[in-house]
Amino acid sequence: MTALLTTSVGSLPKPEYLTRARTKAAKGELPSDALQDLEQKATREWIRFQEEIGIDILVDGEQYRGDMATYFAENLEGTEISGLVRSYGNRYYKKPIVVGELKRRGPISVDWFSFAQSQTDRPVKGMITGPYTMMDWSFDEYYGSRTEACLAFAKLLHEEAVALEAAGAKYVQVDEPALSTRFDELPLLVKAVGIVTKGLRARTVLHTCYGNYNEIFDYFNKLPVDQLDLEMSNSGLDLLERFKREPLKKEIAFGVVDVHSHVIEPEALIRERIEKALTIFRPDQLFIDPDCGLKTRSVDEARDKLRNMVAATRAVRQVHGLT
Amino acid sequence: MVKTTVVGSYPRTGDAFEEQALRRGIARLDRGEITEAELRTVERDTVKAVLKEQNEVGIDLVTDGQISWYDSQSHIAGKLASIEINGLVRYFDTNTYYRQPVVRGAVSRNGPLLVDEWKFAQGSSKAPVKAVLTGPVTLASLSLDKHYGNKKALAGAFASAIGEEVGALVKAGASQIQIDEPILTQHPEDLSLVSEGLDRIRGHKAKATLTLFTFFGDVAGIYKDLQEVPAEILGLDLVQGAATWPVLAKHGSSKPLVLGVIDARNTKEEDPAAVAKKVSQLNSAVDLKASYLSPSNGLEFLPRERARRKLRILHDAARGLGVAG
Repeated sequence: MTALLTTSVGSLPKPEYLTRARTKAAKGELPSDALQDLEQKATREWIRFQEEIGIDILVDGEQYRGDMATYFAENLEGTEISGLVRSYGNRYYKKPIVVGELKRRGPISVDWFSFAQSQTDRPVKGMITGPYTMMDWSFDEYYGSRTEACLAFAKLLHEEAVALEAAGAKYVQVDEPALSTRFDELPLLVKAVGIVTKGLRARTVLHTCYGNYNEIFDYFNKLPVDQLDLEMSNSGLDLLERFKREPLKKEIAFGVVDVHSHVIEPEALIRERIEKALTIFRPDQLFIDPDCGLKTRSVDEARDKLRNMVAATRAVRQVHGLT
Repeated sequence: MVKTTVVGSYPRTGDAFEEQALRRGIARLDRGEITEAELRTVERDTVKAVLKEQNEVGIDLVTDGQISWYDSQSHIAGKLASIEINGLVRYFDTNTYYRQPVVRGAVSRNGPLLVDEWKFAQGSSKAPVKAVLTGPVTLASLSLDKHYGNKKALAGAFASAIGEEVGALVKAGASQIQIDEPILTQHPEDLSLVSEGLDRIRGHKAKATLTLFTFFGDVAGIYKDLQEVPAEILGLDLVQGAATWPVLAKHGSSKPLVLGVIDARNTKEEDPAAVAKKVSQLNSAVDLKASYLSPSNGLEFLPRERARRKLRILHDAARGLGVAG
């Protein structure tokens, strides 16, 4: 029985040489093919690292992305990119602006998926920024309706999902960090994600984070995916009690390390978290990963967190006689 | 023409190099390259620039753009006694975050919250500067209460502290005070708490004009009762809160209004003439001469250059309305 497979949510920190190169490229001081070489180098390094420590389902680390919504929008028809908008503190981002009918020009993330998958025999996840998040994080100057804009994104992201599957993706993950923004729009999210995942044979995953899970709990079993990927260590361990009473009928990727803390969780603590999860979920239903993308940590912090996560998972597997 | 105002926040960083001084300054402070005092200077230069942008367009009643605020909750609550500031929480349905106040004991005001900021802004602006404070019920709702055990008591304590601050602001010369209670659009049942809070605050305002502003949604269900709150002016978000419009058009308003008709959460530009035409429908129902047009909420959710364009649209719409000579 495959049990307690380990994975990551998506983003991994960019090494310093890549951060510097991106700054230069933004100023026009570095040609795009030179930047791409470095993005490939960083991707190869992360693939190798994940293999070395023994992660089961890999990610490409999103070394080529700035913001997750902007990256997708830049590769679509009908969009522009805004000026800087503040998120919190001294953090700013650029938002997509929908200025015309949304269409997919061609592959968005497929080439990067194929590149990453060509570096390893283990499965690499295909990663899609979800239609609800794309809509919620964009300005809309064209559709004039959140529903219409969201469904337009869903339609073209379905094409991307199909293309990822055709390129060999065994897992397609839809990222919806905006899921808990407006509870009254959860039916819209379910519908839109359903459009994206419709007919896929690949295993489908929905990732979300930092929401009020109690408010959205009733929707967990309705989400049209095979697996939910949830942040659990930062705030969600309380949620386990609720899962005990109302079982999840899907697989769960269970976040066991906090991505916003510099503290490297010791192996023993992570083991404890996995053991707690095992009191609720079957081993074959339970996947182990960090809470969210690790891109805001340093390369060393991310490596240490992942190392401890894999070691803790191995230890738990051994105790329970799981392979 | 009808007057114009803004709601509160303004983008503190733009895309031009010179508009990024504050962002660079904060990064340099973090790296230990400049001192707190040097950062304050950068901050104040940014406030001046933001006031200049509003003054140049001709906005009648301006704000300091809340340039030095980390967010709408911790900037106020963080200066009160018995409050710690915790981690990030999503701010309503926006993709922005506030640092959550944690109430550990009896809340009280130990010193000024906004007085110095207001004085500096008024000294740098041709137009009068409105003092904007987050309302006690919104503060109470968005904080983590480890002391009072009920929202009414906590909101009451916040209201007393904010009342004292309003007194200090008025003493310093502020004639326009705005209390923001966005929570009302999500929890209309809190209206009586909001009224009680305003009642406490009103005792400190002397001759200043008190405005209650609600945004991030409509107040259609409580519109009639909202007319009874102890504030002279009501501010309404009529974009995300478009559902308030028909109720407003039907019942009119006994108080002057701040009509939040310019979308402060979307880059799409309104046609000023169309806005003016729509607002003119209220002519017999609302005292437009005593009212203001405004964005639907703070402008910080837009890129700086779009915020400037929205100010221009706001001004042109008001001019197009031609209510007052």
